[in-house]
Amino acid sequence: MNKALRPVRSAWWYLKEISGENAYDHYLAIHTTTHPDRQPMDRGEFYRRQQDEKYNNPGSRCP
Amino acid sequence: MGNRFGRYAIWIVIAIVGAVSWGVLALSRGETINAVWLLFAALATYAIAYRFYARFIQRKVLETDDTRATPAERLNNGQDFEPMDRRVLFGHHFAAIAGAGPLVGPVLAAQLGFLPGTFWIIFGVILAGAVQDMTTLFFSMRRDGKSLGQMAREEIGPVGGAAALIAVLAIMVILLAVLALVVVNALADSPWGSFSIAMTLPIALLMGVYLRFLRPGRVLEVSVIGVALLFAAIIGGGYISEASGYAEAWTFSKTQIVWALIAYGFIASVLPVWLLLAPRDYLSTFMKIGTIGLLGIGIIITLPVLQMPSTTPFAFNGQGPVFAGPLFPFVFITIACGALSGFHALIASGTTPKLIQKESQVRFIGYGAMLVESFVAIMALIAAALLDPGIYFAMNATAGVVGSTPESAATAVTNLGFAVSAESISNTATNVGESSIVSRTGGAPTLAVGMSEIFAGVIGGQALQAFWYHFAIMFEALFILTTVDAGTRVGRFMLQDLIGNVYRPFANASWLPGNIVASGLIVAAWGYFLYAGATDPLGGINQLFPLFGIANQLLAAVALTVGTTILIKMGKLKYVWVTLVPLAWDAAVTLTASWYKIFSSDPKIGFFQQRSDALAAYNAGEVFAPATTLEATQQVITNTTVQGTLSVLFALAILIVIADAMRVWIGIIRGKKEPVVQEAPYEESYLDVYGKTLEEPVGAGVGSNRNE
Repeated sequence: MNKALRPVRSAWWYLKEISGENAYDHYLAIHTTTHPDRQPMDRGEFYRRQQDEKYNNPGSRCP
Repeated sequence: MGNRFGRYAIWIVIAIVGAVSWGVLALSRGETINAVWLLFAALATYAIAYRFYARFIQRKVLETDDTRATPAERLNNGQDFEPMDRRVLFGHHFAAIAGAGPLVGPVLAAQLGFLPGTFWIIFGVILAGAVQDMTTLFFSMRRDGKSLGQMAREEIGPVGGAAALIAVLAIMVILLAVLALVVVNALADSPWGSFSIAMTLPIALLMGVYLRFLRPGRVLEVSVIGVALLFAAIIGGGYISEASGYAEAWTFSKTQIVWALIAYGFIASVLPVWLLLAPRDYLSTFMKIGTIGLLGIGIIITLPVLQMPSTTPFAFNGQGPVFAGPLFPFVFITIACGALSGFHALIASGTTPKLIQKESQVRFIGYGAMLVESFVAIMALIAAALLDPGIYFAMNATAGVVGSTPESAATAVTNLGFAVSAESISNTATNVGESSIVSRTGGAPTLAVGMSEIFAGVIGGQALQAFWYHFAIMFEALFILTTVDAGTRVGRFMLQDLIGNVYRPFANASWLPGNIVASGLIVAAWGYFLYAGATDPLGGINQLFPLFGIANQLLAAVALTVGTTILIKMGKLKYVWVTLVPLAWDAAVTLTASWYKIFSSDPKIGFFQQRSDALAAYNAGEVFAPATTLEATQQVITNTTVQGTLSVLFALAILIVIADAMRVWIGIIRGKKEPVVQEAPYEESYLDVYGKTLEEPVGAGVGSNRNE
């Protein structure tokens, strides 16, 4: 049962990673270990900043 | 020992498969051959190159060191620097490098037959393109993700750096114009296509609002909604064009679409990204990966037979109707993405190097992703080559050659040596749900017809071919337009930055007047080339595409020059051929092509010969064929002046960068200059190759796993 579900689970993990759905969780994990004293950004703000970074940078895509 | 033999036996088998496939491809004369040989030749060559050559570069030339912490590990902030799983990063990198380029170039180059393009795509990628991507990625990673421009300035000097910056801006403008022109040619007089593409705007707005206010960061669910709506838009387009009575209202001329795109590019650049650009980007990325996957599966299931001969007479006489000029250098200019693309150096020195977990992964991500892109180019070539060559030329020759009716096209193409009947041209148009396919240049419609044949062979048969054709058009137009608006935005930022050096307020990217002025200037720049191309009496794509290819290869020359310089500084003179040979080749190709474009006395090839012929005609009060009016003749004079001047500028930029770098090389080799390697200092790594954090540094205790 568990073994049969493995490919599905991997595919789901991959989709969440590549689409950036998990990006905020990664950020939270890093933030709480490196700056436990500071308030992390909330989800909305995190994605806003990520978007700005991506589209203001000439190196993010190819024709 | 047996184990070792087993390990090599598989490579011997792969080598034999590759050799046999290449033999079949190269020796086929006159008879049609199956696409499977192309696939095998490509895959076997990639596998061997990846296993042996890329590994040699990684271990001997670059000496990647997994005990050394990458910038992602050292500077990890969970945002732009973050060690990313190598498979996920591979996906990101691939999505960023695989654009419309590998789909368009091979289709145009198919006029020479399938063999020249195949050779260049496969050997170009393993010896040049993937090497450029991998080395640039590595050097940028060792420098905390510095951009190509910064590296050029620091490693070569301010002159090389400035030339690189100008190259980036110039390539951006030409590229946006060429890509937008592809869309214009695909959508003109096509109510189905125009409707479904127009619908992507409200779909994107809806997704943007959803992501911003309702469910931030929930990319997957919003993408599912978006893709579903996209399919509805394609089906709706079929209804519009066939049954609704609104077909007329959704039929636009080339000039109308040009103006629509210019307005769209400006608005998209001024609007905040979350509203339009970001959601379109998600849609187009999913569509892109999905469609490329489908195409691969479709080719494997249907195993089409290539009807295009391995070489056509145009490969030798240089008189092809799609683009004029001899095989060398023009096949190498026409196919850039997929074989060697300078633009990739921008990505390999942008986001990706900040996300790599381990140094050794530059092989998988840099070299590997480029191999996959090359494979996409091979698939595009197959999709074009499986068409009846008569249909191919009827679609891709300029209107000046084939006229505008199936009858005129059939006569003209048959005269070119590829027999085709007017019925079969108009039947093809009917099958894909279009009123005409004659002279639909730009590559996208041809690829869409090829893809629709492949897809219809898997699902739906002829009944669904029109749907699949518009699916393919939608997919190409969607991500070309995403490139257009993202590119306009990037150009706007570069320009704001540039003007900001002179007039301070411009440097602030969120200052609205600066935003509007810079957006307007960039849109005006590519809009000019787009308009000139769409109305060009000589046919826009065949005039502009070589310029685009030259600009792209110019950027590749910059990247390979930077790579060569760094290798020399690292004391790797013995291995400098790894980047120097591709650089020499690239320079030879680009400069020869520029030479033809500037000095050729054949008015089909040389811009200035075209200009003087048109001028002579104009002064004599005559029209310059294929232009039909005096105004059109004057337009030819203006266009060729601009295009010729640009060719001169590009050629000069290449010469300057290489000469400036050679000065540095000779200085170091003669010992007159201190070779300063500008790398970030060594720090021990605590990440293992799977991204797990360790208690002690990698390699501590159990001997070093350097270079493993």
